Amino acid sequence: MHKRTVAISLLFLFSTTLLLAQSKFTVSGTVKQKSSGETLIGVNVVIAEKPSVGVTTNEYGFYSISLPKGHYTFRFSYVGYKQELVPVDLVADVKVNINMADESKLQEIVVKARKENDNLTSATMGTEVLNMKDAAKLPVVFGEKDLVKTIQLLPGVKSNGEGSNGFSVRGGATDQNLILLDEAPVYNASHLLGIFSTFNSDAIKDATIIKGNSPAQFGGRLSSVLDVKMKEGNNKEYHMSGGIGLISSRLTVEGPIQKDKSSFIISGRRTYADLFAKISPDFKDIQLYFYDLNAKANLAINDKNKLFFSGYFGKDVLGVSKTFGSKWGNSTGTLRWNSVLSGKLFSNTSFIYSNYDFNVSFKSDNSETNFNSHIRDLNLKQDFTLYASAKNTIRFGFNVIHHTITPTTAGGTNIIRTRRSQKGLENALYVGNAFKASESINVDYGLRFSFYNIRDGKTYANWEPRLSVNYRVSNTASIKMGYARNTQNLHLMSNSTGGSPTDQWIGNSDTIRPELADQVSLGFSKNLYNNAYELSTEVYYKTMQHQIDYKDGVDLNTVTNIESVLLFGKGRAYGVEVLLKKKKGLLTGWIGYTLSKTERKIQGINNNEWYNAKQDRTHDLSIVGIYTLSPRWTLSGAFIYTTGNAVTFPTGKYVLNNMVIYQYGSRNADRMPATHRLDLSLTYQKRNHSWSFGLYNVYGRKNPYSITFKENKNNPQQIDAVQTSLFQWIPSVTYNFNF
Amino acid sequence: MKNIISGILITVLFASCEKVLDLKYKDNKSSIVIEGNITNEAGPYFVKITRSVKLKETGSYPTVDSAMVIINDDAGNIDTLAIMGNGLYQTKRITGVEGRSYTLTVQADNEVYIAKSTMPALVPFDSVKVETVKIVGDTEYNLIPVYTDPLVAGNKYRFILTVNDKIINQHFVQDDEVRNGVVNTTRLEVNDDDLELKKGDVISIEMQCVDTNVALYYKTLALIGDSGPGGGTTPNNPVNNISNGALGLFSAHTTEHKGVVIAL
Repeated sequence: MHKRTVAISLLFLFSTTLLLAQSKFTVSGTVKQKSSGETLIGVNVVIAEKPSVGVTTNEYGFYSISLPKGHYTFRFSYVGYKQELVPVDLVADVKVNINMADESKLQEIVVKARKENDNLTSATMGTEVLNMKDAAKLPVVFGEKDLVKTIQLLPGVKSNGEGSNGFSVRGGATDQNLILLDEAPVYNASHLLGIFSTFNSDAIKDATIIKGNSPAQFGGRLSSVLDVKMKEGNNKEYHMSGGIGLISSRLTVEGPIQKDKSSFIISGRRTYADLFAKISPDFKDIQLYFYDLNAKANLAINDKNKLFFSGYFGKDVLGVSKTFGSKWGNSTGTLRWNSVLSGKLFSNTSFIYSNYDFNVSFKSDNSETNFNSHIRDLNLKQDFTLYASAKNTIRFGFNVIHHTITPTTAGGTNIIRTRRSQKGLENALYVGNAFKASESINVDYGLRFSFYNIRDGKTYANWEPRLSVNYRVSNTASIKMGYARNTQNLHLMSNSTGGSPTDQWIGNSDTIRPELADQVSLGFSKNLYNNAYELSTEVYYKTMQHQIDYKDGVDLNTVTNIESVLLFGKGRAYGVEVLLKKKKGLLTGWIGYTLSKTERKIQGINNNEWYNAKQDRTHDLSIVGIYTLSPRWTLSGAFIYTTGNAVTFPTGKYVLNNMVIYQYGSRNADRMPATHRLDLSLTYQKRNHSWSFGLYNVYGRKNPYSITFKENKNNPQQIDAVQTSLFQWIPSVTYNFNF
Repeated sequence: MKNIISGILITVLFASCEKVLDLKYKDNKSSIVIEGNITNEAGPYFVKITRSVKLKETGSYPTVDSAMVIINDDAGNIDTLAIMGNGLYQTKRITGVEGRSYTLTVQADNEVYIAKSTMPALVPFDSVKVETVKIVGDTEYNLIPVYTDPLVAGNKYRFILTVNDKIINQHFVQDDEVRNGVVNTTRLEVNDDDLELKKGDVISIEMQCVDTNVALYYKTLALIGDSGPGGGTTPNNPVNNISNGALGLFSAHTTEHKGVVIAL
């Protein structure tokens, strides 16, 4: 029945289009960067005579506008690029491809809207775009620029803390973020336990984070979508760039395959702490490194058809002599076929492969044990964009993912038990429309129908409506509101207080139902001083169903039946986010602040009462500044302050069989101490090379990593709370080059 | 496993630093704590009843001295324990026999607490094996209790580690979920933050064959033991086998001791 409804709505959409298509002509084309030929995403294309009519370029730089016969001037604008004005005499369908020149002198900000007042006109809510080129100027630990770290400086996105995996968006869990690299899901986006992300900045074009209110083409996770796009490579000339840092080095080669038409890029990165460590005989037996390889190529078959291949391969290796070894990593591959079916209809077909696995092994004199787990996807996506009219841009399509999930399985000497892998089909049909209702009102609405089919088992189906409305109150202010439902069919099993690469994914089953979230949000944006400042605030309220927690005393890696140790319940999260950006002048940057709460209520935990989720933090503040000292020198700084995570401290103690045991009260009723830190970075840029010097944690704050309770050595009657801190004053130097 | 990965990383990569914090603790509910043990060795056996105190208190633990304590078994024996003072109660006649279930009834301060435990069959404890591993120049010692797990599934073992006559406050539980019916080769997961074994240390290990509830109690404590983002589950009072909200544990178990001196 569901399928028929969707088919009917698609049919309806087509028929409207046919009606609208009469007596109009279409202008379409692709917008690229002049120097490299990289396509530009989100370029604003407006009719100068009718500024209310306009579109933005899609992920492949494509745009299309249908207009009545006439003479028009098309204005192409994009922050950081020279505006282009193109006169068009419209008497037939016409193709206008544009190359835009980089306006390099303009000081850009790191997290930017794609056009100057985009925040006021676009209906999308809770969305930020991050440009990699600019993120490079921000200070980071070990001098390794990292977009995931930069995203964590935005309101609503919280790092899980130093030395732990992942991030949390609007009170969600780490596994509730859909992380896409060229459309392929990345199941573990961190290296070295979260110190680095899996995204090699040299290979990344840009990244968008959508905090829950995603358009209908995205789905499958409750909290957010982090959509990362790899560079396509320069199609004009060959370039080599790279960087040498204290802990890792990077090298990227890019160039044309067919000049001006197609290109490739290959980028690699490896850490070498272990190579240095090997010099010392003490560290000889330690293996500790990670590497990444990104590759992408595109091929223009003809004017209307283009193929893209992108691949990623990364691995972390950690081992001690022959006794302990571990490896984990992602690999992804995406083959995409872009086709301009008509001036108005753009199609993209993607075949996607994604895999995450880990292997941990322990060896002793005469025995070996190892643990393995993997999740492997084969994924087909078909997406159409229909530029139905100047007012309606319709997106529809479907997605089918075949998951093979092997929960942690033990192997080795005398192992008796293995777990069977699960198979599941995750399907979705979607349709959405970006509708310009009037000069001051934009509405994005859509519907996603998702259904998860367990092989030889149950099917779970869900409707996911999405809506966001933007009302422009004045030239400088707008009000937004949104509602979205998201579902999640894959769940990361983790009962530790932090994440670990050995956490395993499992799919829905007879007892595990899809997680569900409903989020409403309300926003206000105001631009000040001629768009030099941009203030935006959003409030949100989110409810979550079928949330998962675990019984006590369970080792998830060895328990025979994982479903027998799960507990289920619900969650709620709410908060206010404020972001003030300064976008122009020698000093740019932003202040982000979040006031929030996130709680869970799980049957069998905390007497079935609400309790704080571990990622609950009341206050989160980040201040980021980039100051241009001279054309060559840039100084940047980032200050963060966050309330400590919600944790459970003992309240009392007792003695049992001569051992002191702690007594606990309510779950997560205590707080880690607050974390705060200032990081600085100084960048020297000269034509094709740059130096950057960084200092992480400038004032040496001992931020909490963990707190353990121990009997005092001299007075065992006294219990000490001992805090461990990781990073104090980490200096870094990185040399980057570009030929 | 989680602990190992983050542990190695932190040791190798970062100079971490520690400091003692002065934290404010939430109010504690002082609860009755019942400790009862029945073993396969000759009696008498003891039950101890105390109360929990606030975390920051450093004095002695209050005792409950006027309780009525009864232990009976599924063979029809019943024993009212003698009050010895200082929270201690002693059995008079009941004997610990493998395969038998025991019920402990405590009546104290107008409340009744009931606990049940079954003594599993004895699995002989053969020896303690010491393995040496070199990690970052240090020699570390792994302790492996050697015993042959019987073919029947569901065996649970608890170990108590004593080093140079000092009981180590860490919890060790092994079971046959991953391997069944073979000679044990799995080491005790000693948390070496608090305990560094060295040459010449006198190791003594008590092996107890315990029932499922007792094993779960200690497994919960062991998993809480790894703290910090690298691992460790959210702390909680472990689920025990005593009714009515009492803390503590009643355990009918077999016991056997083996020792070794770290030589290499």
